[in-house]
Amino acid sequence: MTGPSNPRMVEAFAHPAGAAAAQVPGGATGWSGTLLHIHIAPAASYEMEALSEGRCVAGRGIEGDRYFLGAGTYSPKPDVREVTLIEQEALDALNRNDPPLQEGGLRLLPADHRRNLTVRGVPLNHLVGRRFRVGEVVLRGGRLNFPCRYLEELLGMPVYLPLYNRSGLNCGIERGGIIRPGDAIELVD
Amino acid sequence: MTARLIMKLRVAEAVPVTPDVLHLRLVHPSRPELPAWTAGAHVDLRLPDGRVRQYSLCGDPADRGCYELAIKRETDGRGGSAWVHGNLRPDATAHVSAPRNTFPIVPEARRHILVAGGIGVTPLLAMARQLAASGADFALHLCARSAAEAPLLQAARAACGRRLTCWFSAEGRRFDPAVIGEGADGTEIYVCGPQRLMDAVRSALTARGWPEAQIHSEHFAPINDETFKPEPFEARIASTGQVLHVPAERSLLDVLRGAGFAMPSSCELGVCGSCECGYRDGLVIHRDVVLPPAKRQDRLMPCVSRARVAVTLDL
Repeated sequence: MTGPSNPRMVEAFAHPAGAAAAQVPGGATGWSGTLLHIHIAPAASYEMEALSEGRCVAGRGIEGDRYFLGAGTYSPKPDVREVTLIEQEALDALNRNDPPLQEGGLRLLPADHRRNLTVRGVPLNHLVGRRFRVGEVVLRGGRLNFPCRYLEELLGMPVYLPLYNRSGLNCGIERGGIIRPGDAIELVD
Repeated sequence: MTARLIMKLRVAEAVPVTPDVLHLRLVHPSRPELPAWTAGAHVDLRLPDGRVRQYSLCGDPADRGCYELAIKRETDGRGGSAWVHGNLRPDATAHVSAPRNTFPIVPEARRHILVAGGIGVTPLLAMARQLAASGADFALHLCARSAAEAPLLQAARAACGRRLTCWFSAEGRRFDPAVIGEGADGTEIYVCGPQRLMDAVRSALTARGWPEAQIHSEHFAPINDETFKPEPFEARIASTGQVLHVPAERSLLDVLRGAGFAMPSSCELGVCGSCECGYRDGLVIHRDVVLPPAKRQDRLMPCVSRARVAVTLDL
């Protein structure tokens, strides 16, 4: 396994998407969500492992995760990848084949989608350029996540098109700390 | 190009089946089912130092609960099997990729002849199980020095019954490819074992008129052409026109990665097929052992293969 190297993270609000979105007001407010699952993988392509507690380190990622270690598939490419999130609601839509993009529903388990945090009740597409709290940790939405063929190949499932535009959010960590499933998620500003 | 999930599997059983073959049963620590596979498939086993070795699955493809491997200790090998024999005991953890099949059963064939030499029985045993389950017409020829040294002999007997023929050289019975008979439409031959067995079967059958395309084999060993002298060449990227210089001491894969191309790879020995890449023109020196001849006209394995002077890649 690759040891800690020097992951090249782009600060969330320095990313062109995050920077542009931060200048534009709007987006859902008044919502309140929940952290359902935390997953990390020790290296590229390794199966994700569930955590009952994750330590978030500002500017780095979740301790033990491949992107924290600089050992991810995309680590050589500078980007916002400290923490990735996906909505349980998007996974539910895939499961009911909505919209009907293939023969039947796709069951994507929390360990399968390869995002770190599975959340409920959080409008991720509204959070680019926004700060929000997960328990004691403060995240910054840097850019929308984008599905990749690599995930399709790993899963052997045609998830590329179904995940399009609901693939989650890539975030930076503004304030580190411990997160646990069940933590409340809410907008900071 | 295929990315495969890597799992940390638990060794549920590790049983020596001959003096130098260890039979492993691997299960997932939390999931009841492992990724599905078909007969002929192999997995990558990752050693702690980062080396990767390919081993065929020899269990029953219908059993999603475990993966079975049978690994021979190769005293003059590259160290992978010695690590397995020394470390994979019950409850140990094995880092194993999801399976991949570069040696599949030809589905439309009417008859299948399997020829196994020694530990080469592993993918063919899985094939025998799958063929028996589907009621297909098949035969397994198993070559070994003796019954005591034939890995998985009992399992082969159980799977094949009267479809199994044993060839034990200690008893003076050496496999004669002539028993397979003349080339027949709809009959496919699958050979796995030492290179000399695969070469002997292939040359005997082609001499008797069997088409090359009906003879399938798989081989996990590094390329051993020590007289090969790598020369520098130019690789042109078709989509951009960019030209990359590949010096003699670097692989094409390495140069592509250095130029920012995300190329999957696994064995980097020309055996696993992970880094397959298309090309348009140029004289390619194929040094892998995985691409079938028909695909070599426009596909190459950049981990080991090179070009004379220049090549244009479909990237």
